[in-house]
Amino acid sequence: MPALQSPKLIARNVAAVRRFADPSSVAPTVAGNPVSTRLESGIGNCFPGLECDLRNLERRFFPFLEMDPIENSIFLAGVDTDGVARATAAGDLPQSDAAVYASLADNLRAGHSVLVSQLAGTFGLLGSLTLRLALPALGDAPAVDGDLTTASVGSGRKPPDAWTAVRMLTEETDVSLAFVNDGDPGTLTLTAKRARYLDDNGSLSAAFLPGELSQSLCSPWTHDFRDCGCFYWASNHPDIAQPVLPAGTLPGQPWNAAVAWERRDRTISTVPPPNATEASPEASELRHYEINNRWQELHFVVGRREITAPFSPTVVQGTAFANRAELLANLNYASGVELAVAQEYLAAAYSLKRDDDPSLLANADLRDDVRAARAELMRIAIGEMRHIRAVNDVIRGLSDPNGFEPALRVASRVPHGNPGSFRPVMARAATRQAIADFIEIEAQSTGVDGLYNNILATLQFPPADVKSFVTDEWKQAIRSVIAEGEDHFETFLNIQEWLSTHDETDYLRSQALRPPPTGNAADTALQAAYSSLLNNLYAGYKKGRFLGSSEINAARSAMVGSDGIVAKAEAVASQGFLVMFATPADARFAPIDPPGVLVA
Amino acid sequence: MMQPVSIAAADPQAPNLRRFRSNVGEHLLVVPHTRIFDLPPALAASLDADVQAADRLAAELGQTSVLEVDLAAVVTPAPQSLSLNVSSSCNLSCGYCYADRGAFGGAQAKTMTIAVAQQAIDRLLAAADPARPITIGFLGGEPLRNRNLIYAIVHLTSERARQQSLDVRYSITSNGTLVSDSDIKMFRDHRFAVTISIDGDEIVHDAQRPRRNGAGSFAKLAARVKPLLADPGRAQVAARMTVRCDRLDLEPRLNAIWSLGFAEAGVAPLRVAADGSALRDDDWPIYRDALIGVARHELERAMRGMPIRLTNFAVALKQIHGGASSPYACGAGGGYFSVAADGDWYACHRAIGDASYRLGSAVGLDENRRRSFLEARHVHAKSDCRHCWARYLCSGGCHQEAHARSAASCDFIRDWLDFCLASYCELSSARPEHFTCRSRASV
Repeated sequence: MPALQSPKLIARNVAAVRRFADPSSVAPTVAGNPVSTRLESGIGNCFPGLECDLRNLERRFFPFLEMDPIENSIFLAGVDTDGVARATAAGDLPQSDAAVYASLADNLRAGHSVLVSQLAGTFGLLGSLTLRLALPALGDAPAVDGDLTTASVGSGRKPPDAWTAVRMLTEETDVSLAFVNDGDPGTLTLTAKRARYLDDNGSLSAAFLPGELSQSLCSPWTHDFRDCGCFYWASNHPDIAQPVLPAGTLPGQPWNAAVAWERRDRTISTVPPPNATEASPEASELRHYEINNRWQELHFVVGRREITAPFSPTVVQGTAFANRAELLANLNYASGVELAVAQEYLAAAYSLKRDDDPSLLANADLRDDVRAARAELMRIAIGEMRHIRAVNDVIRGLSDPNGFEPALRVASRVPHGNPGSFRPVMARAATRQAIADFIEIEAQSTGVDGLYNNILATLQFPPADVKSFVTDEWKQAIRSVIAEGEDHFETFLNIQEWLSTHDETDYLRSQALRPPPTGNAADTALQAAYSSLLNNLYAGYKKGRFLGSSEINAARSAMVGSDGIVAKAEAVASQGFLVMFATPADARFAPIDPPGVLVA
Repeated sequence: MMQPVSIAAADPQAPNLRRFRSNVGEHLLVVPHTRIFDLPPALAASLDADVQAADRLAAELGQTSVLEVDLAAVVTPAPQSLSLNVSSSCNLSCGYCYADRGAFGGAQAKTMTIAVAQQAIDRLLAAADPARPITIGFLGGEPLRNRNLIYAIVHLTSERARQQSLDVRYSITSNGTLVSDSDIKMFRDHRFAVTISIDGDEIVHDAQRPRRNGAGSFAKLAARVKPLLADPGRAQVAARMTVRCDRLDLEPRLNAIWSLGFAEAGVAPLRVAADGSALRDDDWPIYRDALIGVARHELERAMRGMPIRLTNFAVALKQIHGGASSPYACGAGGGYFSVAADGDWYACHRAIGDASYRLGSAVGLDENRRRSFLEARHVHAKSDCRHCWARYLCSGGCHQEAHARSAASCDFIRDWLDFCLASYCELSSARPEHFTCRSRASV
């Protein structure tokens, strides 16, 4: 293809201009967000928000006044003189009050600070109170701390700050305000009903002007992210990102660090930049004016890591199976793999020391790392259980009516290493080798992921006897499983890193964890519970979504609680044994082998 | 965007580009969506050296954008434009008439009544998109023979349009010999688009368009339309000149028409003719040269800032500028229908009485027949057309003339478009205001 950089096509007619002013930059298709992205996990929350700052509702708590509760003070920001005039003319507002509003408006116009010195009213649960608010030094009068500055508890206690006080005022009860200002001495008072937020139709009170509820929202383009102290700005201006990988370096420690994305020092050296901390903004990040001048030095972040070269996504495409029988065989095996790895992850989780183990007390880092590792192992194991359900749903969708057989047979071997090679399923402690094996099995395009890629490819390019069964829902389900697998992969890398700084003896309950001996009471109870669980799942899946709900719920309840499997497993583990799940002697749950040869 | 009722898949082997040159340089026509680019010489040379790469580039550039319609789509929009065959008789006896002087070979025996016309208009106004112009045309035979119906319909419909804030426009194609002062008043008052069929100077016109007694009709026509040409008011008046195989000269005839006072004239070569006067394969190169000759003169005039009087050329330039690109040559069966005297709805006014074109009745449209009709006539479905670079500009031509399509007639179209493409580039370089000035009356 001849290079188009220097000689350019020039659009001449409307249709050419409409499409491309500069066709040398014809846009290629780009990879988008992963399919597991959800709208609700984007930048939408309500504090201080990116949609609506609810704190702004309190600014209009008093008729015809606009006020700013800040810490322990309330500042007057505006007076709705038109509203006052209308209410006075309609006879709703006494002349004396109108005069006070007018004075307040005059003070503001004259550039004075006007504050509320006293707020009296009914404060919800706290009842009737008269609160003196904090005041700065006004004229000759000294500053006032007010009643809210010291924390109060018990009955008769006061609201913790001015905004909360306003928030607590009961709608439509009397509120009395006393105003002072820095222009002249003296106090103005007003009493009125606390305003309603919503009218009888549920509409927002007309007192709020358009834009008022969102006027205080964070604005990315005015550098609010620079001052945001909560490390929250995930997507378009991250607080933290992983640093640029030097050429020829594979992702891993120490390059999986969390560094300040807006650090002033932009050099790329042989060691990663220092980790981001709460003190980073003042100490090491670009200041506002520097961002304006040096924004082009900030790196793009793809997959949580800064990049300096154009990003080329690696497209993984599986190979479709030949027919429905092969697809179903592989789906059944996939479900078995999920069950197998869930068992392995649970065994590993229970091999870690408990949170309250005395040997962890001395070392906070060790305790936190063990706690995080266990929590993440459990989260992933539960994720695999959800995958079992998802795969069963897909198998059901691809089966003939009345031809669906729940897939709850644990895999005999799981994919490991190159495509086509496997390893046995092993319950073991969370040794370094075990974690390494877990990383291997979740790695993209090999391991389990490769199996699902082939399944997905078969749904995308279905053979003739699969075509009529394929729906978007099944494709999305498999895509979600693949996307979550990628998350599992990243998480195991993290777990590996957390545990890498400790000896195995430090974080494992026992170096030589062994299966419980036959007849061990705790283990017998565990196995019975597990067998019952499988039976409930089988019955529930077989019946389908609504009819099988009681069995599915029974299965769920059986896992949690002080008498659940989670407790029974702990009972086994605290005796120093491996937590293992024996396959019941039942053809429905017998181990399943990998079908045929898996194509890479 | 309208949902397609069907998809007519494009042929992936079809060419996506046409290379051409003009006096201002080298150019590229991207066939899908008619996008025109200028090529610097080096780039032109490299594209010409690697034709496959050039086609791939053109395919990318030709991708449909969000503001554009998928060219493979078969859509059935609401009818927006209707013609009424109000008269089944004519005072002339032109040999090539497609309508058999209005009777359509017996298919249109009686004259349309006001009630039938009203019913059709009611359906049109109810179904059409009120935000866009709605067009009502009067045809025949000679439509002015049913003057009363036209007056009644225009009066009633204009009132309704005013009440419902609809933009209703009228058109009429007439032989001009019966135009009266009250007709002219109506044309002016209601912004008619008037097309007068006139075949040239008196000699050619009288030979091709005789009255029933064999005498000529030119003198009568000239006298009747003179006041309208002198002062069209808000009407737009154009001439339509039919070309037979035995008279392929164009320029002197067009000059005669323009001399009468017509601001613009369009030329229509016969591809199908009842009297056998359709152009034959040998005729097309001659016709092409004649037409391009006229157009060249008009281009020179336009370069000097004067309006283009040849409708074919003016419309082609405007379409090319806008990037007109459609898998259909006309709205037949889509947004346009023609109503027969008995109230049946046909896809086209030239097919009255042809069962395969009957797509509905006074009661309603048969959507299945409509879809089949449109699917079959989508340019991607035409074996002659789907590989042609001009497929979205010519779009296969008039459905009624499809069976007469030949390599020679298609070569003419491509040659004509080559000329128009180059002319467009030259004129838009020299006189960009020709295409952007909004005060120009739309053609």
